[in-house]
Amino acid sequence: MPRPLADQVRAIAAQYPESRSAVMPALRIAQERHGGWLPPEAFEEVGEALELTPAYCKGVATFYDMFHLAPVGRRLVEVCTNICCGLRGAQEVLSAFERALGVQPGETTPDGEFTLRAVECIGGCGWPTVVAIDDRHRLNVTAGDVPQIVQELRHE
Amino acid sequence: MSTAELVTVRIDERSVQVPKGTGLIETAAAAGIEIPVFCYEPRLGAAVGACRMCLVEVEGMPPKPQAGCTLTAQDGMVVKTARTSEMARVAQNATLEFILVNHPLDCPVCDKGGECPLQDLTFRYGPGSTRMTFEKRTFEKPIPISPAISIDRERCILCYRCTRFSESVSEDNQLVALNRGAQTLIATFEDEPYTGAFTGNVTELCPVGALLPTQPRFQIRPWELQSVPTVCGLCPVGCNIDANQREGKVRRVLSRNHPEVDEGWLCDKGRFGFNHLYAEDRITDPLRRVRRRGLEEISWEDALDDAERLLREAGGRIAVALSGSETTEQAYALAKLVREGLGAHTAMLPEEIGGGLDAFRAPLSAIRDAELIVVLGDDPVVERAPIVDLWLRKARRAGAEIVEIGPAGDIQTAPGTTARACRRLIRGDLGDRLRASERAILIWSGGGAGGGSHLAKLAAELGLADKPGSGAFFLPETANGRGVAEAWAAVSDEEGPEPEPLSLLIVSGDEAAANPNVRALAERAERVLAITMFHSLAAGWADLVLPGTSYLERDGTYVNLEGRIQRLRRTSIPPAPDELAWIAQLAARFGIELSPYPSLVFAELSERAFGGVTYEDLGEQARLPERVPLEAAPAESPDEPVPAKPAAGALQLLRYRPLFSGAAVERVAELQFQRPARVIELSAKDAKRLGVKRGEPVGVRSNGTSLELRAAINKKLKAGVARIAEEHARDLHPTVEVSKP
Amino acid sequence: MSDVIVLAGADERDLTQLGEYRALGGYAQLERVRGMAPADVIGELNAANLRGRGGAFFATGRKMQFIPGAEQNPNPHYVCVNADESEPGTFKDREIMNRVPHRLIEGSLIAAHAIDSQHVFIYIRGEYLDAFETLRAALDEARKAELFDGVTIVLHRGAGAYICGEESGLLESLEGHRGQARSRPPYPAISGLYASPTLINNVETIATIPKVLELGGAEYAKIGAPPDSTGTRLFCVSGNVVRGGNYELPMGITIREVIYDLAGGIPDGRALKAVIPGGSSMPILTAGQIDVPLEHDALRALDTFLGAAAVIVVDDRACMVQLGLRVAQFYMHESCGKCTPCREGTRWMVQLLEAIEAGEATHSQLDLLLDVCDRILGKCLCPLGDAAAMPVASYVVKFRDEFRAHIDQGGCPFGGESSLDGLFAPVDQHTHHPVVEEGVPA
Ligand SMILES: Cc1cc2nc3c(=O)[nH]c(=O)nc-3n(C[C@H](O)[C@H](O)[C@H](O)COP(=O)(O)O)c2cc1C
Ligand code: SF4
Ligand code: FES
Repeated sequence: MPRPLADQVRAIAAQYPESRSAVMPALRIAQERHGGWLPPEAFEEVGEALELTPAYCKGVATFYDMFHLAPVGRRLVEVCTNICCGLRGAQEVLSAFERALGVQPGETTPDGEFTLRAVECIGGCGWPTVVAIDDRHRLNVTAGDVPQIVQELRHE
Repeated sequence: MSTAELVTVRIDERSVQVPKGTGLIETAAAAGIEIPVFCYEPRLGAAVGACRMCLVEVEGMPPKPQAGCTLTAQDGMVVKTARTSEMARVAQNATLEFILVNHPLDCPVCDKGGECPLQDLTFRYGPGSTRMTFEKRTFEKPIPISPAISIDRERCILCYRCTRFSESVSEDNQLVALNRGAQTLIATFEDEPYTGAFTGNVTELCPVGALLPTQPRFQIRPWELQSVPTVCGLCPVGCNIDANQREGKVRRVLSRNHPEVDEGWLCDKGRFGFNHLYAEDRITDPLRRVRRRGLEEISWEDALDDAERLLREAGGRIAVALSGSETTEQAYALAKLVREGLGAHTAMLPEEIGGGLDAFRAPLSAIRDAELIVVLGDDPVVERAPIVDLWLRKARRAGAEIVEIGPAGDIQTAPGTTARACRRLIRGDLGDRLRASERAILIWSGGGAGGGSHLAKLAAELGLADKPGSGAFFLPETANGRGVAEAWAAVSDEEGPEPEPLSLLIVSGDEAAANPNVRALAERAERVLAITMFHSLAAGWADLVLPGTSYLERDGTYVNLEGRIQRLRRTSIPPAPDELAWIAQLAARFGIELSPYPSLVFAELSERAFGGVTYEDLGEQARLPERVPLEAAPAESPDEPVPAKPAAGALQLLRYRPLFSGAAVERVAELQFQRPARVIELSAKDAKRLGVKRGEPVGVRSNGTSLELRAAINKKLKAGVARIAEEHARDLHPTVEVSKP
Repeated sequence: MSDVIVLAGADERDLTQLGEYRALGGYAQLERVRGMAPADVIGELNAANLRGRGGAFFATGRKMQFIPGAEQNPNPHYVCVNADESEPGTFKDREIMNRVPHRLIEGSLIAAHAIDSQHVFIYIRGEYLDAFETLRAALDEARKAELFDGVTIVLHRGAGAYICGEESGLLESLEGHRGQARSRPPYPAISGLYASPTLINNVETIATIPKVLELGGAEYAKIGAPPDSTGTRLFCVSGNVVRGGNYELPMGITIREVIYDLAGGIPDGRALKAVIPGGSSMPILTAGQIDVPLEHDALRALDTFLGAAAVIVVDDRACMVQLGLRVAQFYMHESCGKCTPCREGTRWMVQLLEAIEAGEATHSQLDLLLDVCDRILGKCLCPLGDAAAMPVASYVVKFRDEFRAHIDQGGCPFGGESSLDGLFAPVDQHTHHPVVEEGVPA
């Protein structure tokens, strides 16, 4: 039995002078528990744990890019398309993922395995193109690497 | 308050002296200069500097435009507004251009048109034409955010006034901003209705036509309305309002800021409740009971003849049940008729408040400035006197300590034991701290006969009379219960025996007509004369019905819970003559001299009860009368009988009258969603013991009555107590058994 | 004396290990400082003329001096370490956290001592999972070794919002709100986190502190380009260079040296076209301006800034309109939405740039673009609006012919061959609410 969300959140909230500060960590935990995204119940759970309204929690969540308001695939593939990666071929990398996965950025594969996203700079500009897979960054990715990466991920 | 240091500020070559720290917007206004704003609204807390409409140039600050709303007056400050600074002019013009870039410019079909700050400021400061040629942001529109309010997101300029209200005034946190940047929008959670006592305020705060009340949608243009400065008559706060009428009908109600009473906030009952005036079952003609055929319309002449006959035949064996919604003048007139004219002294006053509180009189705004506040009683403040709840929240935000004593309080007490709690306070630590504080406030929120005198005794013991920052408030159930009681007493202090048999019961007003105790008395009465607005309240028991009117249809005065005498001004023409008019006629038939004009009746009453203040003295924003020094210790009312402790497993029933209930609310379509859900509130402990979860149906039983309600868990509620709204508790006895069905 | 300060020792040892860091004298300065009066610690930082590495170049010691003493403000005092590094082109703080986490921790504890604080928060951007884990492990180790002496350090993860790197957005976010910028004054030093006195510094600034104390302020002040640009910076080099990455060097090195001596020059035999000296929000320099030393005053003279020392190299394959569009898209996407000029202005900029890139704009719309930039500049609640307006305006001014060519030719003169062609801005973010229908831009 996993610990109830409220218990987990309470321990985190205790680190801060005001428990409201734990809203982001709590949303992150709720997101993990709900398979990578935040359905409406998640806001009610977080709200209940921190004595905030669900509306407030949703207001916070929708401000940040890493909270997902719609279901995502089992693996999250995020390709940086900001200028530094862009100057070095990020769009080809993104296109390669589109081809390999058969989806457009923002979409999830029909089998629910992958969500592909284009993202803003994720802080690896000296090693383009940066691709985040479930928040783990791969550096110096080229379009040529993509089929191999997708292959690996399918089997992991 | 100490007088703040005065500083001199130069604005556009004009010098102005203001207390140090005055907002720059207000400072400029004092110099007769407008700094335009959208997001700035000091009642919402610290300035946020979001809209950038107020940009000015300030000497000595970085060479770029500064947000005037976030600045305060400092000595020697030199400010240039758009009138004299090119930098500020360009900046303001830029802000307006940016705001209009995504605004639909649909003024001709917008209900805000004519009183829209965006429209006005665009006219004064804006670009003449648009350079924006691209597609604007579009949204589905307008959509309801509740049955009472709709939102048009394309018109929204994201000033965040509404969400700031929701977060830091009403503190309901239901209206929020979602998304980020240009995608930001205002919403409720999953588009659920925005529910709460104060939601309508956002329609006044919104500086554009984004949040509008649904009530007068497309029916009015602001410039066609006439605004009448009056006060709300739906709770004892007496919020100052501007009632807007066209063609003799109320079209909407707006707040009218009285800084000591309401600070410009209004509850939804006061704002949206006026439609009950036009309810289908409104009585417009006198009605007489005709055997078997029920009630039949009769002429006013016949009605007065009937009334005269009923009064004469009663031979003084008359009782009057009053509602507390009568104007002070009506109550006085009625008292004069039956007390002076007929020697009948028996009245059921709406509630017994008890005396002595005038020694601790303070404006409601004193709550905001208090350091220690004790709220005693069985009922949530918001249900009895909603604005007081906002003052309390403001006090808490300002750092006041608030201690609640009651069945759902910080200090838990059994229902019906508020008087005892008062006595305990006199000794105890908390009492000592109240005694030591310069700014201590006591509030009694709940029933309990003579609560006012218990509270006054407590306040006297704590020495609050000598501290101007302290005070004691009793929150009555009715809007003018105080005024009615004073008017009744002003006529005569004679007392008579309770009439037996009771020949005639006069039921004055809808609250009395709906009161089960009055109904019980009517069973004993040979005849009943009822004054009421609605058919359903008169049917079945009255012999003669005279049409009642509403606070929006009357001239006169109400005395609010502070003891402030405030003017009612007629906004809507009633469908029948108002009560005072025909009471005066009836009185004449008994040789009683009584003017049909409220001003003259008030003058007479004022001589007897209000120290001779005149209508003119009251003005549009009534002042609070001085404290009346305590002559003797307030008479102690006897305690209410404490309900017997329920048998093991049973719960003590705590009834409360929700804000959104009563004859007016029941008749307003837009308020139905605000009425209390069919729930029973249980303490966490009882819910656990009973094995019920939030939202589950439970059976509630007491002697012979049983009903099904949904469970709500109230973590603050005392174990052994179950709380149910009056309209759902109905015939339940004081002790109930709760179980899973 | 080696010129490597912040990363000193990291090439030779695994400084993520407490033992290794201590072997290099790690935490010795903390111990020494704890015996010093806070004012003396600040005195050293002032002597060093240590300036903030987060972008605004504000003197660190002076910032500490703004924090009122406990007598003036009895509220708890807070230290917030800004590890939100999100400006496109920057990735130095990540390297510091990954390689010398203990130096950051030691610096944080020294800063806490200097302002009499017991509470440190490190706000790390959510995308830095690796750095988060490294730092968390280092914190655990240091805590176990009882180095905190009653101070608490809370590691707080962001969740993807550039504005939370801006100090007031960071505070809002850390308090559990939407990370919208706050109006100032009051400044964080007076009323910051939980309305209490708060010191906010960048990771690199904080990680420099132990070494400043080790060397002594006066000695440190000799490094780099005194008097103002003292010490080293981690230059983040990216874009069209052979060897991108972080290079720690004294301030004052020229852009030419960075590109050609350190980063291996421009790959594929292409020509240099332009350089962004401090991260994507900074005005651009042309190929002819690369002999400028990377230090504050020299760059100011060219109307640009060192910012976060992110050197982005652009070769001749890049279309400047596309560059401007992509930069504007980023800032539109990251605008917190609180103030009007930034929220509406960045969106309008994007629309204008899209029209120009598509060849559908008029010359007057090019002027309008500049005017919109001008109407954003200096009028927003926080500098994010400027961060969009300044670079884009500089591209127009310095590469006006290229912008005009788009208009005159009715399309991009690169004809699909620009290295930035079709660069995709995220579209699936912040459109969550079902009732939104984003108008299709022209
Ligand atoms: C839009 C914006 C984004 C910023 N992002 C960062 C950031 O990611 N990291 C950072 O340290 N400072 C950032 N800053 C600067 C901070 O506001 C602040 O000046 C800095 O953290 C202070 O630290 P320092 O004095 O050590 O430089 C940003 C500023 C702005 C206006
Ligand atoms: S809906 Fe009205 S009050 Fe709310 S943010 Fe928009 S413009 Fe302001
Ligand atoms: S531009 Fe791609 S990681 Fe920075």
